[in-house]
Amino acid sequence: MNAPALAMDALAGAVAALPRDRLTPQRLAALEHLRAHGLPTTRLEDWKYTDLTPAIEISNRWLAAKREPVLAESVAAKIAEVRTNIDAHWLVIANGIIDGQALADAADDGFDVRLLSAGDAQLGFDAPLADFNTALLRDGLRITVLPGATPRKPIGLLLIDETVADAEVVQARIEIEIGANATASFVEYHLSSGSAGHFSNVVTNLALADHARADYVRLQRRSLDHTQTNRLFVAQARDSILNHCAFDLGGQMIRNDLHIDIAGPGASSVFNGLYLGGSGQHIDNHTRIDHRVGPATSRQEYRGVLTANARCIWNGKAIVHAGADGTDAEQANHNLLLSRGAEIDAKPELEIYADEVKCSHGTTVGQLDETALFYLRSRGIGHDDAVQILTRAFAASIVGKISVDTLNEIIGSMVEGRLGVLIEAGNK
Amino acid sequence: MLEINNLKARIGTTEILRGVTLTVNAGEVHAIMGPNGSGKSTLAQVIAGHEDFVVTDGTITFDGRDLLELKPEERAREGIFLGFQYPVEIPGVNNAYLLKAAVNARRKHRGLSEIDAFEFLKLAKEKMAMLDMDPKFLNRGVNEGFSGGEKKRNEILQMAMLEPKLAILDETDSGLDIDALRAVAAGINGLRDPNRAIILVTHYQRLLDYVEPDQVHVLSEGRIARSGDKSLAVELETKGYDWVREAASA
Repeated sequence: MNAPALAMDALAGAVAALPRDRLTPQRLAALEHLRAHGLPTTRLEDWKYTDLTPAIEISNRWLAAKREPVLAESVAAKIAEVRTNIDAHWLVIANGIIDGQALADAADDGFDVRLLSAGDAQLGFDAPLADFNTALLRDGLRITVLPGATPRKPIGLLLIDETVADAEVVQARIEIEIGANATASFVEYHLSSGSAGHFSNVVTNLALADHARADYVRLQRRSLDHTQTNRLFVAQARDSILNHCAFDLGGQMIRNDLHIDIAGPGASSVFNGLYLGGSGQHIDNHTRIDHRVGPATSRQEYRGVLTANARCIWNGKAIVHAGADGTDAEQANHNLLLSRGAEIDAKPELEIYADEVKCSHGTTVGQLDETALFYLRSRGIGHDDAVQILTRAFAASIVGKISVDTLNEIIGSMVEGRLGVLIEAGNK
Repeated sequence: MLEINNLKARIGTTEILRGVTLTVNAGEVHAIMGPNGSGKSTLAQVIAGHEDFVVTDGTITFDGRDLLELKPEERAREGIFLGFQYPVEIPGVNNAYLLKAAVNARRKHRGLSEIDAFEFLKLAKEKMAMLDMDPKFLNRGVNEGFSGGEKKRNEILQMAMLEPKLAILDETDSGLDIDALRAVAAGINGLRDPNRAIILVTHYQRLLDYVEPDQVHVLSEGRIARSGDKSLAVELETKGYDWVREAASA
């Protein structure tokens, strides 16, 4: 069976219908690039396990309907709730619409926020999904953390979508630059309220200047019928530090690409993640780190808990380029399968072209430790509670790696809550 | 309190217990000794309800209840405690959390309310002092990175907090230096009570110098080959297990 193709003529119509502004030439160029290359198919090694057909079908329905984006009223309450629960400078993109008021409210705390259309951002052509994003982009955010600055609070990026009609497609784009010697933390929060046929395509670029540091948490809690592709590209200069921690607690079809490029010696990159998969969920995490120069270190640990018929993918690629001597790279991926119907495809990939390097990887897939289970039960703890306790402990090791202190507790309780639901559903 | 009658059990296709009969009354301390592979640990685990072992024959009753019908957690709530030979490390599960959850599971079963947080901490610190344990252990992962001796003390701490009716201690003395052995023995002696029974599973007589048993049984090839008072342990120490084996087959 042939995968459906994106309706290019309808897409061209949608691009032409967008208001003309400084982004227009880039939208048109991206459209042509996408027309030439198309969206990835499962014939590509990197897309072997994730079929974009649902995303394409939603896109074609949405293009045919020619709808203007609308903001559902119920979204406001959710945004207010997020603001109450997590203290951050919140920037909100709701159904692709940037909240101008939130932009204006962004406090004077060592960083600057503008619309992409207000500047001369070059959005580049590096991946078909990024082209798709550029072509249909209404507008995006450009965040600049000033050199030497340390914002007191995290910068919150709230991506919230609510489908008000049969199909909705949302493109979100965020460009972040952290100036030399600056330190900033971010929480990228993906939320939605449920309704069928939603596809969001998020593209973020993060550039760390010399000695800059970013503590970055991505929290994905989309509804269980949400389709999403999300890409973060990080460029690291000399002595920069990245601490990234990702949580996938929702979504139906989720594909994340995290690509880190180490171009300066002395850089350190830590990226961890936790994915919790339940009935009908497909969560694909692809990470890639390019060590272009040494010495530099990277540490990666992803963990997954899979129940019911969940399908998850972890693919961790590390490329140590020729001359990147002094590279020290470790990657690990551990999976807990709580049901027979769950499936994980775990694939570490190391490509080493330098001589003096230290690289390691480890992958495990397993069930709960029966001895530990018996130990807890022999202390009077019921079987189901013991399963909960051990599973939480497995997940807690990633929660413990969050480097934004104020988020530890709230994300910990979200993880526990989601695990509780997944395990209980699995016991029925 | 505990009546075991002609108990047979296997793991996979290997028969390990071949007809064990044993009665333990409240207030008594029994020692079960025997060479490696005689079935001592299996007996302890079968009483606690380990599901890897299949009971093929015989009965176990506890205070008149058929124990074999109960799940491990139900046995624990009824008042059975197994001190593990190899206590399990559970990273990410806080020691205090486990202790509290275990205490509350037993309290709930007895129709009591959950233990007050302040009361719990006071009690735990009291018992830890008796066992010469640093209170910091409460906030560490269960047995995570504990030395052999610390793990065994932690087992005794759990026992002391849970106040079981029947405590089975599986090789609790193995791998302990003399200070740890004394602390553990003090912990066990502190729990001797007319309403409680204790079964010590041990390979050596050493622990019995500190915790004096009322009865000693020698397990050999899945059966109790000999029973006697504490002098049997002394006799074993000098004559070795071969003596029992020969006597049994004679």
